[in-house]
Amino acid sequence: MNSFQRAWRSVIRKPVKSILLFLIVFIISLFFLSGMASRNASIATQNITKQAVGAGFLMEANEADKHNRAEEILEQKGEGEEGNFDGVNVEKIETEYGASWRVWYDNSFQTLLLHDIEKISAVSGISAYNITTAVTAVNPVNFSRIEDDDVDQSSDLRCVSLIGSKDMSLDTNILSGNVTIKEGRMITAEDSDVCVISEELAEKNNLSVGSRIQFNDRHDRENAEVFEAEIVGIYKVRQKMTPVMSGDTYRSENIIFTDLGFPEKAEGSVSGALYEKAYFKAADVNQYDEIKKEIRKIDIGWERYDLIDNNGNIDTMSSNFNDLEEVSQMLVIVVAGASLIILFLAFVFWMKGRVQEIGILLALGTPKIKIFGQILLEAVMIASAAVFLSFTAAPAASKITADYLVEQQVRQADEQSVLEANKVAKSAEDSEETVTGVSVEVTPELMLYDWFGVAVLVIISVGAADLLIARKNPKDIFSEIN
Amino acid sequence: MVLEAKNVKYAYKSQKEKEILKNVSMQFEEKKFYTIVGASGAGKTTFLSLLAGLDTPSEGIILYEGEDIRVKGLNCHRKNNVSLVFQNYNLIDYLTTEENVRLGGTKNPRYLLEQVSIPCEDWNRNVLQLSGGQQQRVAIARALASNAKVLLADEPTGNLDETTAAEIIELLKRTAHELGKCVIAVTHSRYLAAQADEVIMIKDGAVEKIIIGGYNDEAVKEL
Repeated sequence: MNSFQRAWRSVIRKPVKSILLFLIVFIISLFFLSGMASRNASIATQNITKQAVGAGFLMEANEADKHNRAEEILEQKGEGEEGNFDGVNVEKIETEYGASWRVWYDNSFQTLLLHDIEKISAVSGISAYNITTAVTAVNPVNFSRIEDDDVDQSSDLRCVSLIGSKDMSLDTNILSGNVTIKEGRMITAEDSDVCVISEELAEKNNLSVGSRIQFNDRHDRENAEVFEAEIVGIYKVRQKMTPVMSGDTYRSENIIFTDLGFPEKAEGSVSGALYEKAYFKAADVNQYDEIKKEIRKIDIGWERYDLIDNNGNIDTMSSNFNDLEEVSQMLVIVVAGASLIILFLAFVFWMKGRVQEIGILLALGTPKIKIFGQILLEAVMIASAAVFLSFTAAPAASKITADYLVEQQVRQADEQSVLEANKVAKSAEDSEETVTGVSVEVTPELMLYDWFGVAVLVIISVGAADLLIARKNPKDIFSEIN
Repeated sequence: MVLEAKNVKYAYKSQKEKEILKNVSMQFEEKKFYTIVGASGAGKTTFLSLLAGLDTPSEGIILYEGEDIRVKGLNCHRKNNVSLVFQNYNLIDYLTTEENVRLGGTKNPRYLLEQVSIPCEDWNRNVLQLSGGQQQRVAIARALASNAKVLLADEPTGNLDETTAAEIIELLKRTAHELGKCVIAVTHSRYLAAQADEVIMIKDGAVEKIIIGGYNDEAVKEL
């Protein structure tokens, strides 16, 4: 009777031992496959997410460049001169301690330049674009804002906040799913003198779609010209937008989305509009890198701008899904380490239970190598069956694992976005809705890796357990039996 | 002579100063039934282990047909020259009766099972389902299966009742006298020892006395 015949009989006729090892290997193999499949799934999810949110580029003013330009302008002006120098305002203030200088920038100095935005929007592959104004505080004339006595009002402007958009549907709050239209519609590029207000503001003032609300310059509330905007929509938020500054002016409920030109009029700006952000939507996420290269080729003063991949929302989610890849990788490593220990212990107990058999075979003159070869053969038979069965269960297990890991990552992204929220218009995110599904595929390549990984673990474990017995001579083994 | 121990000493590696066997020399011939007797710890089983090639002496040599068993290797010695029977039978628990005998190397296990009086309905049963006496018969059949010239038995009747023990002793005697093998059995049983052609008495690791002549009242009394 050769080793294979003995191994086969042992596997079949000692079912408890075989089933136990089968289950251990089956679970290990499933974890391996799930970890590896989730690791691959995370990349697919990242692309899907980009597509769902709208992959694109966010353009903002470069703060360092703004500072440098102001420095240059101030160096060129005469000593002690006051006034507006290409958008940089200089004012001398006399105090009891002597003269001091106040410097501030007007809208023309800070704004993104419209002709640069239009050049970028013309690049092939950009399907749409949006311009967003800075948050603009204006005086509400014929309606009341939402107020809360508990909020620190020491520096409040007693205003409401306007955010002008060229195409509201591309506003990051809308893209992220945090702001949704409850009634009416969004603002489009063709609109003029329109606004979308919060449901809380509408309720407080008994306003509805079609109502008209008025604003004027907060610096001269009594005499400034009043501008009127028609309410075309009422929005609701899932998560309140975080104020840029303290006071009720910037609270989430008092934010009013308007057409692009309205904030400039309502605040009575004499230096034009302040375009704070421009967002360019990529038509095809798969062409993202090519589009970016084309944009970079445009001859504009790039030192003036920051071009940010996607937007804050996608950056956060991407990094989280990269975390998912790391988590999946960690899962595989942890499973490998734990499996090695578990299998080693299982085989140690297995060998302990077979000391008598080993002794008998040694007494019959069977070389140790053949005896341990038989045990390895048994382990391979059982492990092979377990691995092959795990292939059939792997797609379902991988899906469950990947879904769970993605859910955890999205939850983490939500929590992180709340913690990092520091801007009214863009920081509140709801990434949950952007994940439309997780695609997990257990490929033949993964199966091969899994088979190889399990085989290595089994061989190492059996080898290590064998050593515990192999170092004893037959007489010691018989002493142990007796 | 088929098997010989020459000036054999044995001590555990961890306790080299304490000798289990002290300069034991013995010769064993075919067609004879030997028993080794002595008190517990006298060194009987150790001596049998050395004869079986389960371990090597600290000093001295074991010769098989005049050749040191280490020359061809202990595995080879156990496989071809000697076969072993144990007190606790040592049968493989997941094999049938027939398969256990086949392990000894024979292609005709049924003949041997008939020889040791195992009924044919038990041949394909799991060996653990047999009685103790039957299991020991199977172990002897397995030992006979190898065609080795020496059969070594360690307390072969230790776990058996008197009737079954007598049957096993008879079987061992037949193995020696009819099949021409050299049978060496370690035992505490006076009855078994008295059946032997030669009784080797070991005391404190040395051969104290050898009683030759088989069963007689005097021999039993001496034991």
